[in-house]
Amino acid sequence: MATVVIEKLGKDHPGVRGAVTKVLGEISIEIADGELLVLVGPSGCGKSTLLRCIAGLETPTRGRILIDGKDVSHLEPRDRDIAMVFQSYALYPHLTVRENLAFGLKMRKTAPSEIEKRVGEAAAMLGLEALLERRPAQLSGGQRQRVAMGRAVVRRPKAFLFDEPLSNLDASLRGQMRVELMRLHQRLGATMVYVTHDQVEAMTLADRIAVLEKGRLMQVGAPGELYARPANLFVARFIGTPEMNVIPVEAACRLGLVPVELPASAAQLGVRAEGVTVGRAQSARASAINAAPQATVDVVEQLGWEALVHLLIDDIRVVARVESGAAPRPGDVVRVALAPEALHVFDAAGDRVELEVPRRERA
Amino acid sequence: MSARRLAPLIALVLAWPAVAEATTVRVWHAYRADEEKALAILARRYEAQHPGVTIDLVALPYDAYAYKLESAIPLGNGPDLFIAAHETLGERAKAGLVTPLGDVTADEAAAFLPHTVEPLRYDGQLYGLPLGAKSLALFYRTDLLPRAPETTDELFTVKQKGVTPLAYETASAFYHAAWLHAYGGRLLDENRRPQLGRPESVRALEAVYALQKEKLIPEDATSTLAARLFNDGKAAAVMNGPWFAGEIDPGVPYRVAPLPRVSATGQPLAPLLTIEGVFLAARARAPKEALDFARALASTDGAIVRARTGRQVVATRAAWDDPEVQKGADLLAFRAQLDSVVPMPNGRELSLSWEPIQRALRRTLRGAAPAARALADADAEILARLRPPPPPGRSLPFALVLSAFALAGAVLLVVRAQKTDGGVAPALRRVAREARTARGAYAALAPAWIAMALLVFVPFAVGAGMSLYHHQDGHWTFVGWGNFLDILLCRDGDVWSPLSFWYTLVVTVAWTAINVLFHVAIGVTLALLLRDPYLRARGLYRVLLIIPWAVPSYITALTWRGMFHRQFGAINGILVWLGAEPVSWFAKFSTAFAANVATNVWLGFPFMMVVTLGALSRIPKELEEAAALDGATGWQRLRHVVLPLVLPAMLPAIVLGAVWTFNMFNVIFLVSGGEPDGATEILVSQAYRWAFTRGHQYGYAAAYAVLIFLLLALQSALTRRREEA
Repeated sequence: MATVVIEKLGKDHPGVRGAVTKVLGEISIEIADGELLVLVGPSGCGKSTLLRCIAGLETPTRGRILIDGKDVSHLEPRDRDIAMVFQSYALYPHLTVRENLAFGLKMRKTAPSEIEKRVGEAAAMLGLEALLERRPAQLSGGQRQRVAMGRAVVRRPKAFLFDEPLSNLDASLRGQMRVELMRLHQRLGATMVYVTHDQVEAMTLADRIAVLEKGRLMQVGAPGELYARPANLFVARFIGTPEMNVIPVEAACRLGLVPVELPASAAQLGVRAEGVTVGRAQSARASAINAAPQATVDVVEQLGWEALVHLLIDDIRVVARVESGAAPRPGDVVRVALAPEALHVFDAAGDRVELEVPRRERA
Repeated sequence: MSARRLAPLIALVLAWPAVAEATTVRVWHAYRADEEKALAILARRYEAQHPGVTIDLVALPYDAYAYKLESAIPLGNGPDLFIAAHETLGERAKAGLVTPLGDVTADEAAAFLPHTVEPLRYDGQLYGLPLGAKSLALFYRTDLLPRAPETTDELFTVKQKGVTPLAYETASAFYHAAWLHAYGGRLLDENRRPQLGRPESVRALEAVYALQKEKLIPEDATSTLAARLFNDGKAAAVMNGPWFAGEIDPGVPYRVAPLPRVSATGQPLAPLLTIEGVFLAARARAPKEALDFARALASTDGAIVRARTGRQVVATRAAWDDPEVQKGADLLAFRAQLDSVVPMPNGRELSLSWEPIQRALRRTLRGAAPAARALADADAEILARLRPPPPPGRSLPFALVLSAFALAGAVLLVVRAQKTDGGVAPALRRVAREARTARGAYAALAPAWIAMALLVFVPFAVGAGMSLYHHQDGHWTFVGWGNFLDILLCRDGDVWSPLSFWYTLVVTVAWTAINVLFHVAIGVTLALLLRDPYLRARGLYRVLLIIPWAVPSYITALTWRGMFHRQFGAINGILVWLGAEPVSWFAKFSTAFAANVATNVWLGFPFMMVVTLGALSRIPKELEEAAALDGATGWQRLRHVVLPLVLPAMLPAIVLGAVWTFNMFNVIFLVSGGEPDGATEILVSQAYRWAFTRGHQYGYAAAYAVLIFLLLALQSALTRRREEA
């Protein structure tokens, strides 16, 4: 296992009439030994390109890649000692599962006995023993995915790369495979770089998440940190379901939603759905929130364990998370309050502004 | 309209054919240009003088002429008269294609030049009237030769000026005959048997070989080459027939003269004489009028028109007194040549002899064998050609077997009907029902079915049937398996001879295997090179590399043949420029085979390239990326990932390519022509020769074709089985 350092990596793509598109800006990330880093972002953000640059399948225009301290930027993919699991699995259709697993080892002229051993181990680890003599065409999607992982595992590479491996699976299978991947990571303790566009996958799998947008690195950090302290509006919106409510500061002040004093640079106010309190005008806590602004209930999404209430305050839309039983009905008029510790403030450029939050006052 | 009013109309319509035909004389010919014009003039003149008679002239292409006569006349679709050379008279008379004219009086015969009437007799009967006499003569350039040379020595002195004294088609038996006769040899003896091994014939051939070595005549010359040399001033004289006048460039000063005397023997070069006659076809519908028109053509007036406008060397004596005709110097020269000609024998024996004689000529002239041996071999070959047919077989066993099969088939159908529909009647009802519902579909398919039936199934069945018969001079005899046994057991020759089926089979298999190997290797390599999407001008390369496939194969074959010419070809030119010796490409089997392979590979690789490109585009890029990450080098990726995925997709193409190469007639026929001595023939070209150049042995050739079909069917079945495995 090894560390992977991406140093000031950039890639340009020549466009029409001499214009140049920056597919990747200047990206620098240090991935620790045994860490599972997830690269996440919307389509076109450059995450796959970054992954392929690490693999050596694409050449960056600027910057270096170091694996275990060694500069591999000019090495062929085959010499970088990394394994990749593709979105379409890329299994060799004319070979059996066993031969697929053994392919890399055969290419490197490993001894047959060693190949036997490792293939057996990988098959056992991924539950492929019964499938060894089959061809990829005779396997289901999930089985193929496991063979693709097995092919990578067999090689014992310095790092694993995953290019949206679960995108082609249906929802329930995806959940299962996610858990299996986590198990694999725990078992192998391997350095893994994982690309996905699904932020749920990112949140559950990652040791750290790197969010990319239009070729730029928006934030790198542990999932919890990205959730609780997003560095900018993009990350704030991208991470978390439902999406964070973002309200322009002057509108929020006008409507009386802001319970604390905001710094001068504040331009946007963010609060997650669980930070929005909803109360009935005639409830027991009426006194506490009778001063709070009113809102009309637009739509209520019942999820069973909770409900998402879509509110309309004047022309501002806000989503609140409430217990199923306490959900109002569409058309009701309710009072809305924002919890001070749940507030996120962003300046005009979209960057986070630190807020001094007083302890929540208890009534 | 009342019946009475209709009656005359109906009578007229019904009688019209009879009425019309009684006055139409159909004349077939292969004339062009001036000769055709002359014939047309005579036809119109006759019509003017004989109202009620229409002369219908039909010009046929020369190559198909004989064949059309053979096929149309027996069915009654032939002409009343046809104009043709006399040498095929024997075969045609035997095949019943011509009608004797009845006796011609001594006076009538005297109206024609000597030697011109006899060739039109066969078995004592006269079958045609002579129209023109064709023979070779000497065309010489007046700027190189001051006057017509009287002896060959005189002609050859021109060599001092650095030109080839005499150019002509050296390896053609027809042209060589002039020398043969000058040395006292003959093509056939009195018993109409070839006697090529006689000392006179050997001496004639040795003399010509010596001439070639001294560069007094060109090597490996065709008529086209001779014409080119003459026009460019590189040859002083050409031995050729009256048709050559049309090939001389305007501005070249030339005269025609009778051929000189051979200095060594004192005898003049005596070419073969061909009499062009007008024959009365069998089953002519207007024989009386036809004969009358024929007489008109051969009359003095007719001859004068033909001599003046058609520039023919006419056979009618009196025409030569005409002052206009007297002015034609060329014509007079040809007329003078008629004093020393030898009429071409008009029987089957000669047509069977051409190929062996030519082969002997070619062998000797390229130095592969001494004249004596080459001619002796040719003699042996001709005797083999005049092979007795296989013994007639009994058709009863075959009819029985065929009926047995038909019966078995019928029984099977009935049993199936019982199983699926519970009886024959219900089965027929069901079929009728389905046919009714699918009426539209069947209607749409019908044209394709009909076309397939007419173009594929019927000819196939006819061919297969023909293989059970022996054909000679228009008569078919049933011989059962006789032809097949002759072919497979090599009953008329030995196994090692290039003419044998087994030898040819080995050559064909080697030919197919080597070609397909190269096609696939080159095609796949180029496809891999062209795969790179960032290759500059990729589109251009693709177009350029498709061109070999787009050019019609016979043009390619002829071009390559020209390039492989020993003396004037581009390939030897390059070799010489690089300092190597020029190669006589068609003198040895290995080099001739290589020449054929080179041409066919050039023709065939684009197909494989295109198929491979298609197959390559279906391989996902990620597969190769995965292999790269797995540690495979480019070469390993190719071997373990790309090729295993491409080759199965190419299997159908390879099978097709193999079948096409197996039957690639064009290249073999046009490039090497089977040289040397038939060694590079493949099965399909061998079959062609049996059918068309060795005495019309259609049954034998059909048997060949059936064998080829069985071989290919076997190969396809085996490949299919392997594919499914």
